Amino acid sequence: MKIVVAYKWAPNPQDADVRPDGTVDLSRAKAAVSEYDPVAFELARRLADATAGEVIGLSVGAASIDTPLARKAALSRGLDRLVLVADDALADADGTRLAAVLAAAVRAIGDVDVVLAGDSSIDVAAGQVPLTLAGELGWLGLASVSRVEAADGGLVVERDLPGGTTVLAVAGPVVLAATADAVVPKVAGMKDILAAAKKPTEVLALDGLDVPAPGATLTTLSTAKPGGGDRQATVIDGADPAAAAAQLVGALRQAGAL
Amino acid sequence: MSAEEPDFDVIVVGAGPAGAVTAYLLARQGHSVVLIERGEAPGAKNLSGGVLYGRVLDEVFPGFADTAPVERRITRHVTTFLTADSSVSIDYAGKPLAEPVNAVTVLRAKFDPWLAERAEEAGVFLMPGVRVDELLTEPGPDGVRQVVGVKAGDDELRARVVVAADGVNSYLARSIGLRPKPPEHHLAVGVKAVVHLPRQVIEDRFAVSGDEGAAHAIVGDCTLGIGGGGFLYTNAESLSLGVVLRLDDLIKKGRTAIEVFEHYTSHPVLAPYLRDGEILEYGSHLVAEGGLEMVGEVVSGGFVVVGEAAGLTINSGLTVRGMDLAIGSAVAAAKGVGEALAAGDTTATGLAAYRRHLDESFVMADLRTYGRAPAFLERDRMYGAYGELAAGIFHDVFSLDGTPRKHLAAVARGALKRSRVSVRDLISDGWAGVRAL
Repeated sequence: MKIVVAYKWAPNPQDADVRPDGTVDLSRAKAAVSEYDPVAFELARRLADATAGEVIGLSVGAASIDTPLARKAALSRGLDRLVLVADDALADADGTRLAAVLAAAVRAIGDVDVVLAGDSSIDVAAGQVPLTLAGELGWLGLASVSRVEAADGGLVVERDLPGGTTVLAVAGPVVLAATADAVVPKVAGMKDILAAAKKPTEVLALDGLDVPAPGATLTTLSTAKPGGGDRQATVIDGADPAAAAAQLVGALRQAGAL
Repeated sequence: MSAEEPDFDVIVVGAGPAGAVTAYLLARQGHSVVLIERGEAPGAKNLSGGVLYGRVLDEVFPGFADTAPVERRITRHVTTFLTADSSVSIDYAGKPLAEPVNAVTVLRAKFDPWLAERAEEAGVFLMPGVRVDELLTEPGPDGVRQVVGVKAGDDELRARVVVAADGVNSYLARSIGLRPKPPEHHLAVGVKAVVHLPRQVIEDRFAVSGDEGAAHAIVGDCTLGIGGGGFLYTNAESLSLGVVLRLDDLIKKGRTAIEVFEHYTSHPVLAPYLRDGEILEYGSHLVAEGGLEMVGEVVSGGFVVVGEAAGLTINSGLTVRGMDLAIGSAVAAAKGVGEALAAGDTTATGLAAYRRHLDESFVMADLRTYGRAPAFLERDRMYGAYGELAAGIFHDVFSLDGTPRKHLAAVARGALKRSRVSVRDLISDGWAGVRAL
């Protein structure tokens, strides 16, 4: 089975600053494999081991996604080889464009059976790319995947949806977006990192790929922090604990919570 | 040595300045080197940065100040004695300090990756995100236990030499009993912050321009009289500031480090520099302060210790140095380890070459010069009474209250009489200071 893991080289949110106005500043954040993607690497490796298959990492983005550190970070997570499309023309690309480039790269790799991805990126978190990629490829796309196993030349896929868990048999090429807790990914060890340096990386030129021109343009007009809900933001002075407790009970009664 | 073939000639643990430069120089000699770093990337585990006295790095990377991510070239050194409501400063500003480069401020989150990239270019295998759990040891050719590699998780890596550049409190050196746990009076706790301010505001407040910068060292009331001091450095668009507090004195005086740090940042002499600044980073770190006394064993079979892990820091009161000594020890280690590898003898005897190069270098020369500084700086009067004395003298000079003026010497005698400092203390401390610094 030929499996592609589509991952994002994204800013690490641990280094993000939240500005006083609530917007997030990622300019000081170092890049890493996006936090929800290692699950996809692990599922892909297990699937490949069960089917004597191959796992190919794939990422598209600005030129900065291709550094020795970035290559090793991806290749040490159970990949057999890596394919990158690293071009500054993609620096501010939206999810639809990234999905179109990913689709073109998957076609260029050829004979791919499954594409696995985390179900959203850590920096944008729109959760849009995997299913747009399926659409671009004309493939079946499934999100919220909590388990995947090989069976009879096809796959058995479990989906964790709000209404309950569904187990599906899939025949034919498919894009799967895995939930963050589908599996606990293995942490790369020293031998994995040493082996990573010996694995091949292929860089595809963006110009050489068959990517349809974007049909629409996108401009961000404004951003705002997530709404704080309808919180009343009542602050109770705790200097006198007994009085504070009475005040708290009063406030909760008034709000109809008690 | 075991029959098993080593994976690398050298394993360096810790990608700070000491580790990265050791790895770089050994790779340049043609050795296979792996540089293991606990953080996801070099510099990731580092707090702020500080002043790097750059001459030694300039010998390793000529003209580094023009290409490396340095913040500002320090052309202004200010030393301030503080009391609760006054300050007396010695302010040295000199263009000659800029060229050739003497001291620069660096932010380690940017500077360490730059050093690690130079090492990678030289052929070093950089391995971030790996925490070394223990050293592997086996009986060596001389029958003595020798370090033969490292273990992290389930994986083992073997090498002819392991270099510990794992910072103050070197866990690796302690794990094989090479270095004892440092005594508390040789350790200090540093509380640091990086505060963002616009470039122009920094230049106006610190009276510098272009890529020039200022370094302030502050003693006295800023630490609530606890042994140690405060610092304040200019970066390009931020300030690095903090206090370094002697651990034993902090405990003795019953204060917490945070309490002292907050007192420091809100002190009327400091606060105007920081006004409207936005805190970018905040944290604390253990600092070795013992000077010469803390440099003990640095070599064992198959194993050497460099940088802060080897206790190589100097606090003279006027300058606090660590990074330049780390780089100096890296240069000595690369020479010594290189000679041991070439001779095929990486036992303690072969690696003793490192200790010889270290002893001959400026690192040990400076540590010997400032050998008495830690004990001198442990004298309590340094942190309270002298600030009051100096402030008293200058108050009497500048305060024209209608009483007849006196000569400066008489003013000083008067201030001394009112202060908690006796003439005998003054002579004793003065003599100790001259000898120590």
